[in-house]
Amino acid sequence: MTVPIRPGGLRVAVLSFAHTHAASYIRHLAGRADVELLTADPDSAQSPEGELRGAAFAAAHGAAYAESYQEVLDWRPDAVVICSENSRHAGLVQLFAAAGAHVLCEKPLATTVADAELALEAAAAAGVRLMTAFPVRFSPAYQELRGMVRAGALGDIVSVVGTNNGWMPSDRAWFTDPELAGGGALVDHVVHCADLLDDLLGVPAQRVHAVSNRILHAQRGVTVETGGLVTITFQGGVIATIDCSWSQPASAPTWGGLTFTVTGTKGSVRIDPFASHVGGFDALGGAWLPYGADLDSLMIDEFISAILAGRQPQPDGGSGLRTLEIVKAAQASVASGQPVHC
Amino acid sequence: MTQIRVGLVGSGGITHVHVPAWLELGAAVTVFSLEGAEELAAQYGLSVAASLQELLAGADIVDICTPTTSHRSIAVAAAAAGKDIVCEKPVGRTVEDGKAILGAVREAGVQLYPGHVVRYFPAYAAAKEAVDGGRVGTPAVLRFNRGGAGPASPWFYDVEQSGGIIMDQMIHDLDQARWLAGDITAVYAVQNTAGAEGSAGGEPARIVSAHVTLTHESGAISHIQGVWGPPGMDFRTSFDIAGDSGALRFDSAADTSVVRNLPAGVVDSYLPPAGVEESPYLTEIREFADAFAGGAAPRVSLEDGIIAVAIAEAALESLRTGQSVPFSTSHVLTSEEVPS
Repeated sequence: MTVPIRPGGLRVAVLSFAHTHAASYIRHLAGRADVELLTADPDSAQSPEGELRGAAFAAAHGAAYAESYQEVLDWRPDAVVICSENSRHAGLVQLFAAAGAHVLCEKPLATTVADAELALEAAAAAGVRLMTAFPVRFSPAYQELRGMVRAGALGDIVSVVGTNNGWMPSDRAWFTDPELAGGGALVDHVVHCADLLDDLLGVPAQRVHAVSNRILHAQRGVTVETGGLVTITFQGGVIATIDCSWSQPASAPTWGGLTFTVTGTKGSVRIDPFASHVGGFDALGGAWLPYGADLDSLMIDEFISAILAGRQPQPDGGSGLRTLEIVKAAQASVASGQPVHC
Repeated sequence: MTQIRVGLVGSGGITHVHVPAWLELGAAVTVFSLEGAEELAAQYGLSVAASLQELLAGADIVDICTPTTSHRSIAVAAAAAGKDIVCEKPVGRTVEDGKAILGAVREAGVQLYPGHVVRYFPAYAAAKEAVDGGRVGTPAVLRFNRGGAGPASPWFYDVEQSGGIIMDQMIHDLDQARWLAGDITAVYAVQNTAGAEGSAGGEPARIVSAHVTLTHESGAISHIQGVWGPPGMDFRTSFDIAGDSGALRFDSAADTSVVRNLPAGVVDSYLPPAGVEESPYLTEIREFADAFAGGAAPRVSLEDGIIAVAIAEAALESLRTGQSVPFSTSHVLTSEEVPS
């Protein structure tokens, strides 16, 4: 099923500005000649004072704004990009999938497995495409690693260590709200590496063990975990550990990063997709000028291109579900102190 | 000062870093080994002893560099002969072995220090000093990695003999984690082995990787990865220490003190590498020798070595059971056994 382009282009709506990635998605969508953009952020009325949300956020980013999701539905979008609080993802997927819109949903797909399954079912029932926002999949460094693994350059994969460490999110309060976010660092920073593992290995996780703590940022009174280590044993025996901690010090010159080290029977390869930068110093300390591929741009392009071509964009909703299952198993392991069998 | 007489037991790979350190300190070294003693002695100008008894009779200090399961009997014999002892890690194959050594050493009134040499690597020592000084605040999440080509001798791959990669190689970082973030309350481990089946021609490569997760009494959590990779894989280590006010990072592969850009075929070895830093093995052995001579206690104790073996044993139990294993230092060594 290809989508006929209307005169103004593919109608794409960005739903909610809860996740600040909305700014980047708006920029990339607005820059496309084949897209007509509308945005809405009706839940912003409940957001804390001082957070730039709603019509003001849309105006700041030069995007057309609708006051309600109903107004967006009436506009009959071809596709939507969901940037709401994590716990509100699945409801929006269901609402807009039922209206016939293809969906790119910010990660994690949901905060419960049941919600994620409802999202997948809604997309399948409506015959629309569901994609999960895992931009690291599009990094040239990961693509090179993937190519090497597929070509057998590493031999059989034995073990993997992934790290996704960053500043504690502070521009939006909901990131550390156990209800709205679904948890802390385990929810925020396990899924990117888990998605790479899902893509690279293509086999299910069998056993998940996790530990977490709240030592980092304890002085800020957060009630969710800020540090975590998740170890996964996959079908076939590959072992993998993900460090999801919000452990990038506030004084660091960049937000954090992601590393992914794959060890095989022929050796190992480590990638650091956010390593490319010009370094130096300014009056405040370390300077970090990132360069390299814009992963959000590549991801948005995959979403729009796939919809226009009538094919399934990747990473799909299934990856969103399987990575969430690892997060939930990790949370259960933390609660029990023992590994969880999947 | 009279020359120190060192009785070296074993002639394997690690002796090639111990012997130069002893020679640097001006020691006279005699070697006893079931095999390879003559070659080692010829290479470094050492004497050879025909038996362990002969070695012990002519030594002030015994340096044990043998496969792990033999540490106990040699250490007990050396202690009974009244010798101070350097013993490669792991100090014993089991906690039971370690405690037998501890008992023998206490009874004889001699000293024994285990070769946890990573405590003497400058980067790790610098991190320890910074963490103890509060530079990163309270340690929260620590990661350690150690990997390269697997060892050449087959006994390392026999878990009965060596304890496998966790007991033999990762014990360095198990000790580091405890040194930096304090005592342990839980141990979880997984391991994967590949390539053990026959490969085309020659000895099959055995690729082993293990991951160990430690929970500390302080609430800190640590992850340790070890890799015994294919022949030719560079040996590398790294650590990341995140605390609530800062983070420290070290990667041996990121050392840029000498960067070569030499077209192939250019002879770049007109001089041996300068080696700006002294060998950590020399730093270690000097500190042990000073303690034997009545100086300060070294930065690592026999008890530390036994606790490291106990953590590795808990990790092996976790591999067997698939469960997280509770751990308590006070259950390894009673308060009587740990000097205050």
